[in-house]
Amino acid sequence: MRIKSPKDFWAGLMFIGTGLFFAVWSYAFYQMGTAVRMGPAYFPFVLGGLMVFLGALVLIEGFVFEGTGEPLRLPFNIIDLIIAIAVFAVLLELAPRVGLSVDWGMIAASAVVSVLTVLFRPEAKALVLISVACLVYGYSMKPLGLVGATAALVFISAYGGHEFKWKEVFVLFIVLILFSYLVFVKGLTLPFPMCPAAFSFC
Amino acid sequence: MDLFHNLILGFGVAISPLNLLYALIGVLLGTLIGVLPGVGPVATIAMLLPITFNLNPVSALIMLAGIYYGAQYGGSTTAILVNIPGESSSVVTCLDGYQMARQGRAGPALAIAAIGSFFAGCVATLIIAVAAPPLAEVALKFGPSEYFSLMVFGLIAATVLARGSLVKAIAMVVFGLLLGLVGTDVNSGVLRFTFGIPELSDGIGFVVVAMGMFGTAEIIANLDLKDKREVFLSKVTHLYPTKDDLKRSWASILRGTALGSCLGILPGGGALLSSFGAYTLEKKLSSHPEQFGKGAIEGVAGPESANNAGAQTSFIPMLTLGIPGNAVMALMIGALMIQGIAPGPQVMNEKPDLFWGLIASMWVGNLMLVVLNLPMIGMWVKLLTVPYRYLFPSILVFMAIGVFSLSNNPFDVLIMAVFGVLGYVCVKLECEPAPMILGFILGPLMEENLRRAMLLSRGDPFVFFQKPISLGFMVASAILLIIVALPAIRAKREDAFAEESK
Repeated sequence: MRIKSPKDFWAGLMFIGTGLFFAVWSYAFYQMGTAVRMGPAYFPFVLGGLMVFLGALVLIEGFVFEGTGEPLRLPFNIIDLIIAIAVFAVLLELAPRVGLSVDWGMIAASAVVSVLTVLFRPEAKALVLISVACLVYGYSMKPLGLVGATAALVFISAYGGHEFKWKEVFVLFIVLILFSYLVFVKGLTLPFPMCPAAFSFC
Repeated sequence: MDLFHNLILGFGVAISPLNLLYALIGVLLGTLIGVLPGVGPVATIAMLLPITFNLNPVSALIMLAGIYYGAQYGGSTTAILVNIPGESSSVVTCLDGYQMARQGRAGPALAIAAIGSFFAGCVATLIIAVAAPPLAEVALKFGPSEYFSLMVFGLIAATVLARGSLVKAIAMVVFGLLLGLVGTDVNSGVLRFTFGIPELSDGIGFVVVAMGMFGTAEIIANLDLKDKREVFLSKVTHLYPTKDDLKRSWASILRGTALGSCLGILPGGGALLSSFGAYTLEKKLSSHPEQFGKGAIEGVAGPESANNAGAQTSFIPMLTLGIPGNAVMALMIGALMIQGIAPGPQVMNEKPDLFWGLIASMWVGNLMLVVLNLPMIGMWVKLLTVPYRYLFPSILVFMAIGVFSLSNNPFDVLIMAVFGVLGYVCVKLECEPAPMILGFILGPLMEENLRRAMLLSRGDPFVFFQKPISLGFMVASAILLIIVALPAIRAKREDAFAEESK
């Protein structure tokens, strides 16, 4: 059998996998109850089953109908995804053992995945760098403060775009950090640390 | 005279200086993001949701609503002057609006778009004021079985009107429903699908999901397209339409308003569907259809009125039933819930100032848009020359800071990034994210009502087919599904969306 529409094929697999997960997980760990008194497993089990059914329909469509629109082009494959998840898992596990916080584990894993992407999967640059930029922002807020986090977000994400000029991005960073400071810290009085935690003087 | 009395109350709320200010901020922001291609109202409203936490509920909703209908105004400016839809709902305005601009008639095109939008906005505001109270009264009598059936109908209708594969859209709804169940089960107190992560015990944050699926995913998808935006700016001279223009377009404005108001109320409807429907209608009814696509003013007047009317009447199901018809309304419900207000028919009675204030603010906001926008067109146009490489890091900063500030926890940002990747994959696989968001917000509600209905009926599933209102919703859902599954209509529906996405 030939896959006629890869988009439907993968979407179908995604739905079947998710549905199965929810159905099996709720069946195994939560109480089913009866139709009169539904337990916590009842609704997710039914929905999971429905999703598997719908996913199967989509999967069959993938074998029957020719795909329309532009062909499917995902900038990564399953192995890339597994490698990325493995990097995060290993470094998050490792960080506490060498005496670093989870924050640093996340930052380190993000850095490794970004470098790997830029070197080996340049077509996934936008996807990975934009997502990683957000991650690093969140996890560097405590160790590096608002200034450090914003710098990381702006530089990493801008590098994920088409053109990257140091000077331009630096000016953008200055504007954005000023704006963040004035609107969010001064204006809305959100309790963000401005400077890295190690600098106790500011 | 009740209506009159209520409207006075509403205007009293809407023209308080603070609310005027927030309406102004809303419509200005809306116009701004409407003008800028690649930034939509869904992402913007998601971005601002955390900030609304610090506002009072009325001001928050007034501002967010302003963003939605303001975006419809702004989108048309870009469509007419640059031939790029600033907003997805102004896709069809490109067809004739840009042609008018090339013939040196950008001014009249912009003016007719603004006049049509304003007229439609006024009518739609009135429709909401007249239609919402009786609808809410009916809804107050709904029991759990009626509510469950209504939600089924709403979700089905939303998928029918979504673009792309129907089965995929329904699967996305189910996916959303399942994600909505993550967290503590209200009935048993059991933690479901939390995997021992304490942050998940309250469920996945709605704002976080919306920002990921519509915000970061949109930015990644935009960066994937290597488009060179060509900005062709003609000088906008003489703004006023001629007598002939007005004569040709007044009927189109009326028709567009009527059609948009009807389509907006439907679940899954709203601005996008309305503008497309209106363009088709105008082309069909016109005595000179060959002029369409070559600068027919009717092709601007009709859709522009329709998208504004649709944007506003889509508030009706949200305000009266607590059921979101499209992704923007799902966000509005999210905003209400952030404020601790349970959306539903009781809002009108319990918070009349919120309800009528919001409605009155729509009229005030529309007036602001007309007064502000026509003279300020030059400024908006200048904004178009800002390259995307400055915009997207700035948008990311606002999104990240907003999500982080929800609970000062980096975990939320992590979830946003994960949903960004998921949203990107969904777009690539042609699975629409909007139905998922609707399911996500309705998941817990649906389970709750299903449980109650089944408890009341002693486990008899036929309860949904025995009560007349509930039966009506179920039959309507079934009819909708059958109609869409019919091959002839299916082909036509795909045609319609294909033409639209050109």
